[in-house]
Amino acid sequence: MNLGKTAVFAALVLFLFYVVLIFSLLTFFEGKSFLEVLLSPDTLFSIRLSLLAATIATLLAVAIGLPAAYALSRASFRGKKLVDTFLELPMIMSPIALGAALLIFFNTSFGAAIQERGILFVFEFPGIVLAQFATIAGLATRLMKTALDEISPRYEAVARSLGSSAWGAFWKITFPLAFRGFVSAMILCWAKAVGEFGATVTLAGTMAFKTETMPIAIFTALASADIRKTIILILILAGIGLSALYAVRFVEKRPQIL
Amino acid sequence: MIEVRGLNLAVGNFRIDLLDLILQEGGYNVLLGPTGSGKTLILESVIGLRNFQSGSIIVGGKEIQNLPPERRGISYLPQDLALFPHLTVKENLLYGLRAQKKSSGKDENHLGRLVDTLKIGHLLDRYPQGLSGGEKQRVALGRALAPSPQLLLLDEPLAALDPGLKSEIQQLLISLHRSLRFTALHVTHDLQEAYLLGDTITVLIGGKVEQRGKREEVFLRPKTIRVAQFLGLQNLFPEKVLQVEGGGKSLTVSLWGEEITLPSDHAAGRLSPGEDVVLYLRPEEIMILREGKPIKESLRRNILEGEVVRILDRGTHRWVLFQPAGMGFHLEIHLPNYVFRNLSVQEGQRIRVAMRWEAFWVIPR
Repeated sequence: MNLGKTAVFAALVLFLFYVVLIFSLLTFFEGKSFLEVLLSPDTLFSIRLSLLAATIATLLAVAIGLPAAYALSRASFRGKKLVDTFLELPMIMSPIALGAALLIFFNTSFGAAIQERGILFVFEFPGIVLAQFATIAGLATRLMKTALDEISPRYEAVARSLGSSAWGAFWKITFPLAFRGFVSAMILCWAKAVGEFGATVTLAGTMAFKTETMPIAIFTALASADIRKTIILILILAGIGLSALYAVRFVEKRPQIL
Repeated sequence: MIEVRGLNLAVGNFRIDLLDLILQEGGYNVLLGPTGSGKTLILESVIGLRNFQSGSIIVGGKEIQNLPPERRGISYLPQDLALFPHLTVKENLLYGLRAQKKSSGKDENHLGRLVDTLKIGHLLDRYPQGLSGGEKQRVALGRALAPSPQLLLLDEPLAALDPGLKSEIQQLLISLHRSLRFTALHVTHDLQEAYLLGDTITVLIGGKVEQRGKREEVFLRPKTIRVAQFLGLQNLFPEKVLQVEGGGKSLTVSLWGEEITLPSDHAAGRLSPGEDVVLYLRPEEIMILREGKPIKESLRRNILEGEVVRILDRGTHRWVLFQPAGMGFHLEIHLPNYVFRNLSVQEGQRIRVAMRWEAFWVIPR
């Protein structure tokens, strides 16, 4: 078998592996109960909670990650490699460990002071957002840096020589050129945040109608041996995630002018 | 006058120390140097994209080194042109005018004139991706010149072009400069490009200005051996000044074990007896003598006999490698094609050559 055919075969095997996993869920799937579970108040709450928390966490990650990505892509500064390395920490660190670190932080005097005088995070909605933010912020920065790296800094240099300020050159030239990359990064991070479990469950707990996101709802349904609900929740979560990932493919496909 | 004074800059192990650069206002100034000589670093410093340790940049009598790039009035044309791909040609052309809030009738007339001169009126609604290489060059030039900059910086803009397009854009740059008289600083390592475009040429080697002058001065009368070597000059012979006579009006220099006396304007700077020099013999000023034809009195002292080793057709001239009899060196001779045809010289032929006074140029070592 030649290299091309071998590579395509490997890709098909991987695809089939995931398809079989999804289809195996359908073995226990009962169509009649799908709507019943989907429209139940606890499922709708979990979906709403997951989507809202993931959206806020993504917006926060982009708000901080974009300038950070710009600095890492364009500027050279002392400690750049160290900062760059730390951004990958959530990618190599277990989410439960990340959640545990957050939980321990809020038990320090500084963390406790934040909770007492500011926002409550532990076992609260902001805790979900923070856990998801901690998981995706590094990834968001890394993906947006990649998008910026693809745009030559000479565009900005020319724009500035023509009279644009540094901000003006960024917004008028670099941002529109990297926009598709940013949107892809946002969607990927959002999808990852929606499916985030380990850090969220550690910091925010598993309280129904309070901190029970979709992945946590799957965990609690499985723990109580409710296979029917588990399968339906998994299918809903997979549907949300796959739709987001499929949307990325469209965003990345550039029109002819770009 | 546009000047860079006392520029000090260090990047890694590369240093530029106390560099002075003077640009002729309204002139087409060329900064010529080999790769790695620091041309782009200087250019980035002038635009304001690179911090430097000390020095000043003076444009129109004002020091601008502390101003951000957008307030320097200097347009930049990089090698890859960097046309904004998400904007139409018209939006690219208007970018500078809009950013600088220039919207007077004079500015619009200037832009209209540019569009006409560059012949890009039919491209205004198109995006850069759909343009040919030549059209992109024209649009990039239009965009850079639209806001009427005090200085246009061109960073090797022709380096990646094929010969036909390169020649077209060179002609365009010449005619555009003649009609608009903008001040340009064109950075290149291409000798022919520098000679064709440059009113004044500054030669930069190893972060140091080696020579500045009109194109003929630089190419015909190199001041240092490093310039001569960079220009690819052959017929360079290490010799010594033997005597300076007539209160400095003439000098006697050793040449292949003999002596030759030259007027002092055939030397780069004032030289002293005993000083090591390099004698450069211009290949185009060496004549091949016809057999039986009388020789001028002035040429009689500078005649060599020898053999033609190799002849190459260089298109514009014939390159002849000459081996003087009993000497351990070769001489390059450049013959115009019509002279070569009349002489019908062949490889292996024994000939006599005469060196005109114009052939000699003395460079300090």
